[in-house]
Amino acid sequence: MRKELKEYKFDWMLLSCFSAASKLQNGTEKEYQQMLRYIPYFRGVVETVLSTGKPGQRFIEICAKYLDNLVNAKERGYHTAITTFCFSPIIFYAMDIMPICLEVMSVMLTFTYKRGSSDFLDFCNEVGFTETSCSSQRGSLGAYLAGIGTDIDMIVTDTPGVCDTNANAFAFAASYLNKPFFQLDMPPDLTGNRSDEYHREDYKALIAFLEEHTGKKLDLDRLRETLQEAEKQDAMIAELEELARLVPNPLPVTYNFFVYASRFLFAGMPECTRVLEAMLEVGRKNAAEGKSGISNGKEKVRSFFCYIDHYVQSLKFWQMLDEYGICYQGNILSRSWASNAPHVKEYGTYEAAYTLHTDDLDKLIGDIALLNSRMPMIKSIRGPYDAPHMWLQDTLSLAKMYKADFIVYNGTPGCRNTWGMVKLLARDTEKAGFPTYIMYADAFDERVQSWETTRDRFLEFLTVRRLI
Amino acid sequence: MRIVAGCDVGSLTSKAVIMSDGKIIASSIIKSKARPWESAESVMNEALQKAQISMNNIAFCVGTGYGREKIPFVNEISSEIACHAKAARWLIPNARTVIDIGGQDCKAIKLDEKGNMVKFITNDKCASGTGRFLEVMAKVLGVGVDQLGELSSKSKNPITCATACTVWAQADVIQHINDGVPIEDIAAGINTAMAARMSVLAGNIGVEREVCMTGGVAKNEGVVQALEKILGVKIRRIRNADPQIAGALGAALIAKEKLGEDK
Amino acid sequence: MMDAFLHAATSLENDYVKKWKSAGKKIIGYTCSYVPDEILHSVGILPYRIRGYGVGDTAIGDTYFGPFICSLPRCMLQLAGERKFAFLDGIIITPGCDSMRRLDECWRKANDDIQGILPKFHFHYGVPHKYADYTIKWFYDETVRFVNAVESHFNVRVDEEKLRNSIRLYNESRKMLEEFEALRCAEKPPFSGTEALAVIISGCAMPREEYNALLKNFLEESKALQGIKNRIRLMLVGSANDDIELVRVIEESGALVVADNLCFGARLYEDLVEEQGDPVFNLAKRYLAHNECPRRYGDYKKRLAILREKAHRARVDGVILQNIRFCDLHGAENGLFERDLEKEGIPCMRIEREYGPLVEKGRLKMRVDAFVERIRQKRREIA
Repeated sequence: MRKELKEYKFDWMLLSCFSAASKLQNGTEKEYQQMLRYIPYFRGVVETVLSTGKPGQRFIEICAKYLDNLVNAKERGYHTAITTFCFSPIIFYAMDIMPICLEVMSVMLTFTYKRGSSDFLDFCNEVGFTETSCSSQRGSLGAYLAGIGTDIDMIVTDTPGVCDTNANAFAFAASYLNKPFFQLDMPPDLTGNRSDEYHREDYKALIAFLEEHTGKKLDLDRLRETLQEAEKQDAMIAELEELARLVPNPLPVTYNFFVYASRFLFAGMPECTRVLEAMLEVGRKNAAEGKSGISNGKEKVRSFFCYIDHYVQSLKFWQMLDEYGICYQGNILSRSWASNAPHVKEYGTYEAAYTLHTDDLDKLIGDIALLNSRMPMIKSIRGPYDAPHMWLQDTLSLAKMYKADFIVYNGTPGCRNTWGMVKLLARDTEKAGFPTYIMYADAFDERVQSWETTRDRFLEFLTVRRLI
Repeated sequence: MRIVAGCDVGSLTSKAVIMSDGKIIASSIIKSKARPWESAESVMNEALQKAQISMNNIAFCVGTGYGREKIPFVNEISSEIACHAKAARWLIPNARTVIDIGGQDCKAIKLDEKGNMVKFITNDKCASGTGRFLEVMAKVLGVGVDQLGELSSKSKNPITCATACTVWAQADVIQHINDGVPIEDIAAGINTAMAARMSVLAGNIGVEREVCMTGGVAKNEGVVQALEKILGVKIRRIRNADPQIAGALGAALIAKEKLGEDK
Repeated sequence: MMDAFLHAATSLENDYVKKWKSAGKKIIGYTCSYVPDEILHSVGILPYRIRGYGVGDTAIGDTYFGPFICSLPRCMLQLAGERKFAFLDGIIITPGCDSMRRLDECWRKANDDIQGILPKFHFHYGVPHKYADYTIKWFYDETVRFVNAVESHFNVRVDEEKLRNSIRLYNESRKMLEEFEALRCAEKPPFSGTEALAVIISGCAMPREEYNALLKNFLEESKALQGIKNRIRLMLVGSANDDIELVRVIEESGALVVADNLCFGARLYEDLVEEQGDPVFNLAKRYLAHNECPRRYGDYKKRLAILREKAHRARVDGVILQNIRFCDLHGAENGLFERDLEKEGIPCMRIEREYGPLVEKGRLKMRVDAFVERIRQKRREIA
């Protein structure tokens, strides 16, 4: 790795960027424009996010807050755990553990650094981790392996049974850094008594692990408070999703990203609630006026992303969608599987959802175990893709319900579990009447396919299929 | 002092080196032919002609490269990795890290203070970290592969070049040309991409000074400088021979050892 | 003797399979070493390990799998598509890893296009990724579910006594393989690593009774042999390999593979199944306890200890750590092994390869040659 990258802690660098960005609009417009010239690599993201007004401002603020918590975690008496996006952070917050979400950190790196996370991606390979592994973890993992991040106390993941390369990244990190490791293992079936029991027993083992490594007992009252806040957030997300069903969709293209990123950072915490509130305000207002969330007010076509988004290139992907009037109807990351979610109600898939009983302390552990087993990806990519409640069913029912005109797969070449069957999925979705596009780019590493090629191929698909 | 020789039959080029009294008296490089023994015969003949001697004058000859087992006239064979390690110490006496980028593969070798191989790593399968990658890209740009280095030195804003696969990278480069990106920026992007891939291999074995670079790509200043930047170490330039003949040179040095004329 | 093993190791529908089928008996294929053979054996079904051996091209495999997937299941699907597994009456897919797990769907969907390539019986066997009370319980329930599925589909009954007999028979095998392992590690091993792999693979491709008989003779004959000496002793570690040619290429460079830790290899036969108590539970416990696969996240240190012990027992001069491209589990763990074993003075070499026809023979050979030279150089230094 380049020597200069080891000069400063990378998370501290990120904090500086985001905290400065969160204050950018404190001054005059002229000052703001002046400042943008000094952040050429971060500029695209800052402009895209801040142009959404209050929600974007709050979103940048909570990113800065998260990084501040992270950088200062040790000093403030918190433990730190490296974890993954599909692991609900609620349990960590309830136990004074700072969750360090690798994928979120990788996205922040791609947003701010000149060469994105490429140096850290490569550093992983230098120390023996495979270059074919998923770039979503590898991007920031490299920094931790290089010892330029906050001190880590433990490593926790919940993707065994769902995504090997994810689980493997955490297992590798634990062995490489010699840190305590815990895996929540996911059985191939989502529902049924056997799976419920497995999820619950496994989660109890997790709590025992966290108690052992923090030296603190889990306080059920605190867990309840956090879950109550999460309940509130689920209701707000349900309202946002309800709004997204409208034609035109009143929510701007970036909202979907704000929703899941805020949850990954602060589920169960008031920070997340504040972002959701701001989005709802705008969404409700647009809906009342019958306005589209697209910048120029014209929704031309509706897209559903069946996997993840494209984070490199300063959010150019979102800008392109917005520019072409392509409304964004969500992806696998954004949906909540609370029993009050619109799609759960619409299709009556209550057994695949979770309900929180925050009035009953005895049920809390079982509830949070179930909630965690319904996190994005964890919920729908286990077992065969065409089994009940799995990827195919979710993709088709969501695309239909949100009136998508086409479906897009975007992931990373490191994703074994989806590349193993995405061709089959695309065949099925095409048969169901959805033009389906498989992107060969890497969501986190622009060196796999340049933005120019990604854009051209995407637009070519839309043209050939007469979608634009 | 008897005369020794080394013959390196590679997939793209074949090289021969003849040495006497510890000095290179002749060397030659040709494009490899379909059959390894033909490449070997013809490259060796060329070198012999330059040295104005015949095969009978060669006391010991070592073969290396992909075609090493098919060379009729050698006394012994050795792996390219061992040959490059040997050559590196002759070219840069206190070399501890050898980076070789050849036509179809690249390798990084770590040496101990005596010059023994401690560790090595080679690229896997794909051509995107090898000289072939540069050749393909140069062809797309319509320049000679030897011009890439000079071109990239003029670049102000290098592109990000796809590195996962040579075929994809090619499509990307064409895209950039169509978009009107200056050719020097593309060249610089290509060189940097190549260096970044190589740096992973080098990082894997742990880079120690002095660093010596062998193989044809060592002649591309663009890649060498980009690599220096990424690794944060100076790469010693080879002045006393063509870096491309390192494999054959190492083979000749091993031949000399075999005669007991070393140490 | 060796011919019988080599035959079974280098053909899919071998003579034993043909004989079995012509007697009107059933065969079930599976993809992963976590499936208990004993259950199938006890009801007179031949358990057969599905392989990717002998693939020419992968056009069918490529149609269903995406491009960034391990070539082993891709080759298996190819062979299935070419009806090379037409002798199978059933298949079992486990989530051994993500690439292998997707063989389930890809095989099923390929059957829509190439009708009749999917046996009527197919079972998704959920194997947990860790060992704890509740995971054994899960795996036990899963095994009971499997027993029920076999019983109802093939109209058979898994009888406790018969199952015990099968367990005993397989344990006998394991004990003999232990002896085999000891010979292999000896100062002058009586057989090469290429032959050793053929012996091991044969166990997954022929009836156990016949295998045990062959193995018994083989061991007796081997003991009388002179043994191979003066070779660089290597251990082969990493991704699944059922291709004896890979070992042959390695051994051609003056090496001898005296130990392995492969899925189609030593991992298959270590640990006996307890013979007292509930046989299904004992099977579940033994197979789940199987710890050598990196799919068991977080158990790296245990696996390192296994390698370390083997390396010393077999007095290896070096370790080849190989993985099939896109096998991140073995690939990443190989990186750790390299770091830790090298620290202890055991030379290691990592190789990433493709499964299937050994197209990269030249490159592989070059690297093994260099590795052997490195070890020889080290020996000379010490001398």
